[in-house]
Amino acid sequence: MAVTRREFFGFAAGALAMGAERPPIRVAIVTTIYKYLSHGQHIGDRFLIGYPIDGEWHQPNVKVVSLYVDQKPEGDLSSARASEFGFKVYPTIAEALCCGGPKLACDAVLIVGEHGDYPSNDKGQKLYPRYEFLQQCAAVFKASGRSVPVYNDKHLSYSFERAQAMVKTSHEMGFPMLGGSSIPVTWRLPDVEIPLGSHIEDAVMVGEGGSDAMDFHALEGLQCMVERRRGGETGVKAVQMMVGDDVWKALDSGRISKKLLSSALSRSDTPLGLSELDSRPQDLVGDGVLPGLVKQPAAYAIEYRDGFKATMLMLDGAVKDFNFAAMVRGVGNVSTQFLLTPVPNVTYSARLVQKIEQMFMTGKAPYPIERTLLTSGILESCLESKKQGSVRLETPALKVEYRAV
Amino acid sequence: MANKKLAAVVTVYRKYSHAQHIVDRFLDGYGWNGEYHHPPFDLVGLYVDQVGADDLSKERAQRHPAMTIYPTIEGALTLGTGKLAVDGVIFVGEHGTYPKTEKGQVQYPRYPFFKEIVSVYQKSGRSVPLFNDKHLSWKWEWAKEMYDTAKSMGFGLMAGSSLPVTWRIPKYEMPMGARVREAVCVCYGGVDSYDFHGLESIQCMVERRRGGESGVKWLQAYRGPAFWKALADGVWSRDLMTAALCRSHTLTPAREGFNDMMPTVEQMKTLAKDPVAYTYEHHDGLRCTMMLMNGLVKDFNFAARLDNPSKIVSTQLYLPMPDGRTTLATFFSPLAWNMEKLYETGRSPYPIERTLLTTGLTAIGVDSLFAGGVKMETPHLKIHYEAPAASTFERA
Repeated sequence: MAVTRREFFGFAAGALAMGAERPPIRVAIVTTIYKYLSHGQHIGDRFLIGYPIDGEWHQPNVKVVSLYVDQKPEGDLSSARASEFGFKVYPTIAEALCCGGPKLACDAVLIVGEHGDYPSNDKGQKLYPRYEFLQQCAAVFKASGRSVPVYNDKHLSYSFERAQAMVKTSHEMGFPMLGGSSIPVTWRLPDVEIPLGSHIEDAVMVGEGGSDAMDFHALEGLQCMVERRRGGETGVKAVQMMVGDDVWKALDSGRISKKLLSSALSRSDTPLGLSELDSRPQDLVGDGVLPGLVKQPAAYAIEYRDGFKATMLMLDGAVKDFNFAAMVRGVGNVSTQFLLTPVPNVTYSARLVQKIEQMFMTGKAPYPIERTLLTSGILESCLESKKQGSVRLETPALKVEYRAV
Repeated sequence: MANKKLAAVVTVYRKYSHAQHIVDRFLDGYGWNGEYHHPPFDLVGLYVDQVGADDLSKERAQRHPAMTIYPTIEGALTLGTGKLAVDGVIFVGEHGTYPKTEKGQVQYPRYPFFKEIVSVYQKSGRSVPLFNDKHLSWKWEWAKEMYDTAKSMGFGLMAGSSLPVTWRIPKYEMPMGARVREAVCVCYGGVDSYDFHGLESIQCMVERRRGGESGVKWLQAYRGPAFWKALADGVWSRDLMTAALCRSHTLTPAREGFNDMMPTVEQMKTLAKDPVAYTYEHHDGLRCTMMLMNGLVKDFNFAARLDNPSKIVSTQLYLPMPDGRTTLATFFSPLAWNMEKLYETGRSPYPIERTLLTTGLTAIGVDSLFAGGVKMETPHLKIHYEAPAASTFERA
C-alpha cells in the first residue's frame, strides 16, 4: 500500500502547520553516505520526518532543500529520500549548497562525514573528508558573501591541524559551528551534572568498541564533564596512551584510580565474563577479573595545562557501555552511565538533533565547538603517543581554552 | 553487630529467572550509588522448588558456603532446627514450569508457599518481614487472604514489580496531590505476566494523585479488532498514547529504511498484530489504560493528563533487559535496595495495597479477556491507601 505524505507524517502534521509561522529553515545535507543506520541517514531523516523529544513527536520547521552524498554504496537511500521529500541530490557540495543556482541557497548546512569507504592512516584513523567538506562549504559562503550555521558530525578531523583550521574558518567568517558526539547530550543514569566551577580532583571514563570511532565518543563523554571544573578549560599539556600490561600497572600503582574505575563500572549494565555466562553481578575491579577479560586494554592519560589529570580507558571485553566517575571536592564521588539507547531507534541521536536544530534556528551553538576541537586533538595525540611506543607526548598545540556553558 | 539472616524460597534458580536476579544481589552484591555494594545480610537458607539441568543454585551454594540448600521451605526458614531461624524471607514465585488455568494464568505456587512460610511463623510464635516477588497470586481470593494474613499477624509484607523503582527516562515523579485526569502505559509482553508490570507502572504514579487511592470501580479489556475500535472510539486518549510512544526507545520502524518514526494507526495495525488494553476507572473518576502492544514496542512508557494547570506528562520506566544488549537486569538493583529497607526496618518502603490492587486488576483483566472483553464491575477492588510522600524510584 502506498503511503501518502500526509499519512506518513501522521501525528506530526498538526505540529508542522503550527510551526509554520516563519518560513522553514532551508537545510543542505552534505554526507559521506546515506544508507540505513549510517549517521547521515539517522541524523538526516530526523529533519525529514521529525523525531521524539520531550514526550512529543517534533517536526522541525526545516525544509531539506538539497543533498550531497560522497559515496553511493549498495543500500544507498539518497535518491529515494530526494524523490519522496522533494529535494535534489547534487553532484557537488557547491551545487548542493546553491541548489544548482549561482549562489548560496540554504540557511544551514548539516555535514555528516561518518561511515563510508575511506582509507586509514598509520595511526589507525579513518580519513573522512570532513575538512575538505567544510572548506568547500566555506568557499561557497565566501563567493556568496553570506555564511550559515554548520553542524559537523563527530570529531572535526582526524588531524588537529585541520580541525583547528576548520574552527578558524568558522570564527573568521562568523558562522556558528557545532560538532561532536551524542554522548554529551544523551540521558545519564543517574541524571547528574558536575556543578560549574567545581574542584574536580580526578576523573575516569570507561568506553569500549575500538579506535578511532568509539574512543572519540568516550573522550567527548569525559570532556563534557571535566570542562566544568574551576577555572574553565585550559587545554592539554601532554598525553600518554598506554596499552597492554602498562594499563594494569598504572592501576596497581595508583596512577589511575581503582576506586574511580570501580565507581564508573558500578554504573554498567553490561559486565561481561561471568555476568554474560549466568547474569550474576560482578565487582569487576574488586574481584580482580579485568586482566582476564580485557585482552587489549588502552588508557588515554591526559594532563591538562592547569595540572588536572584524567584518564579514559577503553576496556573491550569488560563492559559494553560508557561510564564515568569523578571525585569532586565538597560533592564527593559523581558517577553515571551515558545511555546509548538501542538500535535501530538510537534515540540519543534525537537529543543531538535537537541541539543542531537549536543552532539552525538561533544561529548560536548551544555548546562550544572548542570542546570538540580539543577532543579531536587529544585523540590524534594519544594515537600518536601509541604509535611512538606509548611515550608521553607534550602537546603545546592543544592550548584550547574555553568556558563550559 | 552480626548481620541479620535471610532465607530465600524460590520456584526456580536459573539464568535470567527472577530468583537469580534477586537472590544473586544478596549473595554477590550489586552496583549501587556509585560503588559496589554488598548488602549487610547473611543469606543462610535456600529452598528451590524445581531444579533443572540449567539450575544455578548448587553453584551459588558452593561459592557461598554460608548458604545451605534445604529440601523444604520449612527447612530453609528454620535451618533445620524446627524453629524460625532467620530475620527475613525472600520469596520469588516467578518462572518455572507450572500448570495453567483455563484462562491461561500460570499457577505459580505463591499462595501455597506463602501458607507454608506463615505456618513456620505461627509454629515459631514469631513473624519476620516477607518480600513476595510480582503479584501476590493469580487468584484474587488468595491474594486477599495473603494480605489479610500479613496484616493480622503483623509482619511487613512487600511485593510487586521492579518497574515502580527502576530508572525513569527522563526522571519524573508524579507530584503529590496532582490532579490526574487520565493515565496510560504503552508496553509489551504477555497477559498475566507483563500486564502486571504495566499496571504497576501506572499505579505507582497515579496513587500520588489528589485525594489518594480510592480503588477501582470497573475494568474492560480489549483485544485485536476491539482494541483498534476502542482507540478509534476514544476509549482512551490518542494524544496520551502518542506521548507515551514518544518516550519509547524501541519503536519498530513501520517502513523499511527508516530507523525511528512515529507510525500512523494503519501502520500500527500491521506491527502490533494482537494488541491488548485494559481500561479501568477509579472511584474518584480517574480513567487508566494499560496497553500491551507486542510488535510495536519493547519498553514501558507512561503518560498522563494533569489538570490545573492542564498538561501532559510522560516518561519511560526503564528496563535494561538482558536480551543481548545488557548482561545484567539492573532494574533488580533498586528492588533489592528497597528489599534491604524492608529487612532493616520491618516495614515495606511502599504500600502493599498498591500490589493488592494491581494483583486484582491483573486477575480481572484476564477475566474480561476470557469473557470476550466484557466490562467487569470490581466492587472488591475498592482499596483505599495513601502513597508515601517520599519518592522511591531510582535516582542514586
